[in-house]
Amino acid sequence: MSDSANAPEPPVPSVGALSSEGLSPFRMGLARVKQNRAAKAAFWVVSFYVFVAVFAPVLVRILNIDPYALDREAINDFGLPAGQLGGISWDHPFGVEPGTGRDILGRLMYGARISLLVGAIGTLLTTVVGVTLGIVAGLRRGFVDALIGRLGDVTLAFPSLLLIIALANPMTQRLESWGVPAGNTARITYIMAVLTLFGWVYMARLVRGQVLSLREREFVEAARSFGAGTGHLVFKQLLPNLWPQIIVFVSLSLPGYVALEATLSFLGVGLLAPAASWGIMLGDSVRYYRAAPTYLFIPGVTLMVLVLAFNLLGDGLRDAFDPRSDRQQL
Amino acid sequence: MKVRSKVLAIVALVGLVAGACGGSGDGVQSGEESGGLSATLDGVKDGGTLYVLTSAEGASTLDPQRVYTGAELGAWGSTFARTLTSYKPVAGKDGTSLVADMATDLGTASDDLTTWSFTLRDGITWEDGSEVTCADVAYGVSRTFGSEVTAFDGPQYAVSYLDIPAGDYDTDSAYPGPWLATEEEQALFDEAVSCDGKTITFNLKVPVADFNFTVSLLAFAPVPEAQDTADQYGLKPFSNGPFKVETYEEGKELVLVRNENWNAESDEVRAPKVDKIVWQFGLDETVIDERMLADSGDDKNAIVYGGILPVNLQTVFGDESLKDRRTDGFDGFVTYTMLNIKTVSCLEVRQAIWLALDREALRTAAGGPFTGEFAQSFVAPLLTTDYAPAKLLDGTKGDGTPNTKAAIAKMNEAKEKCPEVYAKATEDGLRFDHPDTDTWKKYMAIWIDTLGAAGIKINDNPIEQSKYYATINGDQGDLMSAGWAADWANASTVLPELFGKGGGFNYHNNEEDPAFAEFQTKAEEAKMETDRAAQAKLWKELNQYVIDQVWSIPGSASKAQNIVGSNVRGAYQWLPFGWYNLGDLGLAG
Repeated sequence: MSDSANAPEPPVPSVGALSSEGLSPFRMGLARVKQNRAAKAAFWVVSFYVFVAVFAPVLVRILNIDPYALDREAINDFGLPAGQLGGISWDHPFGVEPGTGRDILGRLMYGARISLLVGAIGTLLTTVVGVTLGIVAGLRRGFVDALIGRLGDVTLAFPSLLLIIALANPMTQRLESWGVPAGNTARITYIMAVLTLFGWVYMARLVRGQVLSLREREFVEAARSFGAGTGHLVFKQLLPNLWPQIIVFVSLSLPGYVALEATLSFLGVGLLAPAASWGIMLGDSVRYYRAAPTYLFIPGVTLMVLVLAFNLLGDGLRDAFDPRSDRQQL
Repeated sequence: MKVRSKVLAIVALVGLVAGACGGSGDGVQSGEESGGLSATLDGVKDGGTLYVLTSAEGASTLDPQRVYTGAELGAWGSTFARTLTSYKPVAGKDGTSLVADMATDLGTASDDLTTWSFTLRDGITWEDGSEVTCADVAYGVSRTFGSEVTAFDGPQYAVSYLDIPAGDYDTDSAYPGPWLATEEEQALFDEAVSCDGKTITFNLKVPVADFNFTVSLLAFAPVPEAQDTADQYGLKPFSNGPFKVETYEEGKELVLVRNENWNAESDEVRAPKVDKIVWQFGLDETVIDERMLADSGDDKNAIVYGGILPVNLQTVFGDESLKDRRTDGFDGFVTYTMLNIKTVSCLEVRQAIWLALDREALRTAAGGPFTGEFAQSFVAPLLTTDYAPAKLLDGTKGDGTPNTKAAIAKMNEAKEKCPEVYAKATEDGLRFDHPDTDTWKKYMAIWIDTLGAAGIKINDNPIEQSKYYATINGDQGDLMSAGWAADWANASTVLPELFGKGGGFNYHNNEEDPAFAEFQTKAEEAKMETDRAAQAKLWKELNQYVIDQVWSIPGSASKAQNIVGSNVRGAYQWLPFGWYNLGDLGLAG
């Protein structure tokens, strides 16, 4: 890491024939990321997860496994996985779920769809809401800024996890009565809605701070003196300079949402049967850690590797795009 | 350390055997096991401290009028709450027979069975040495009515039987319990329950043939008015039994010590041996099992409240050296799936659901044969007098596996006969209410998969576990999971409660079913029958009748497994309560 930490200067000249002056901050950052081996490896790991999640229905067919099929043959009369190591066999490469004999690999692959979907859409929504409110607050200042700031304080003051758990059932029912398809669609919508509701503040604060400093810079002043409208200021002048921070923030908050989805499922605010979720698997496996340790181990490691990869990628992006950030001094 | 490594060796061995059999089982089977040496009194000595290990955070309550959990009824009854009658403290079927406890005999009924009287023995004392009077018994019973002050949680038999007019209080009675009653209201109760010297008389509004069983519930235990602390009484009840409550702290411990003022001569039922019983609350379930297997130090003098974890059954029942310390048997509960007869009014659809259901897969998901046997009756096998395996629906299989073909045929019949219910079951789906637990997530996967094979759609509807019964009390799904155990050894506390008019646990909405009237008539008839053998015959017929109507689908007659420390003696399973006779347990060595 120390290489990349001190990297901001050396890599720049190596970017082809272009001089660093002609590069946007975005391209400069990208060039720096490519130098960071840990971030590159993490990128491939994340890509692999995304690939598996997207193509899960095809992959399970190729591997001849079914995440929903019960397999009585794979469990013994106690309902525990038959055979050693949690029932690992050619038919079930990662073993089977105690009680039902459902394939763990298949369920992990389908669970990845849910985790990444919640993580991706949750991050997207918080980013859109956060960036919008942050820019508005930074540009308008005054009363609007104060209002958004206090709203953020109030939001952060909520014990959000408790609220999410307590409101899960009534709010899901409310969503269903509003026409959101009943069942898991409504439940996922709820989870994403509350993630957005409680997650926008950090992004908004970050963006607001950046906007406050950017709006005083010469190029913005110049654009304004030529009579540029708000739209031009936001999209042509401010946003291109905000991207690095946004990307860093997104890459660091995504793993948090993936883990949070698992946490919520673990706590019972999750999906309905027979859907697969990493959190449900982890919650269930705790009871079997003696009889089938692989059942706890495999989903746990799967989740851990994904979150670790996201974090490494996020660190790499931060080092590259935001060279002045605190991390540099560590 | 030696014991611990031995345990590990067993685990490894079981694993090997299971591997060698390729998953077809491992020879460890569930059967009746009565505890061997631990159930006898071999080498028992007076004195010592008995420990009760449990993962529960506390007792549900120590208040005799409010306790309703089988094991606790037995535990408090055998230690600090004597009643007019109680069960014979022996193992086996004999344990369900009634004996006189505080009363001199099993009570005297009037010819029309609406008046019952009991006479108290001489010399029964409270823990402060004062005498237990008839007024104390009457006062105790009156506390059942106080739902405004306590909660609506104890058995309500006094409310439904005693001859007190209906009214507007929470219990639907005109009497609000001793704490709120005006003088006129108290007079209503005093008329229904009256004292004449040592004789207490209960006037009932309905004839009850087995009221002497009813009074064995702790709801009919005496409470001295001077000691009553209303809704706080459950923290420190006043004892008239061989033990008294020394300290009780939820989440920590309950200490029962010997009651010096208990008069052994007045008590022909209890035979206490230990000096002290200590309940340790809030322990980790896994840790409890580990400690019991290790069997060292004070854990040799320990029993478990809450049973063995399913994942450890293989270990416990695979080791023959534990034969003298373990029990395996029915716990009195029958689990079943209730159907909402208002929404699933079509018999053919209900039959199809049953035929398509995979009881075997559900039982395996729960932990296999140790969790129970496929129920053939809503009456538990422990109620030996009233139990007879019913003839199940034609086409269902004895091994619990589904008969999807027959289910599809039934659905095709239903398509003709009741197209509306058919459409609901196949297109909209049936809502299945159940407590939200990890195990239930698996049950639902099985329900959805197996019923789906017969074209029946199930919609999962998990409800937070602690609110489950309160929720379905207000809003019933199309299918609902449930379990029930008899309140005393008579099916009168099962079939009318589950299926009858005003039954305390009847969420079937079955009153408009064409078959309901006949059920209700027969149930009334059976309740009034005084000849026990004739009554048992009626219950058996009635059980067959409800099975034929498929108002509910029987799941399993559940079993429980327990393990005790190597010094514990007298640890037989007491049938009425499905647990040990706590007060009579002793220690050897």
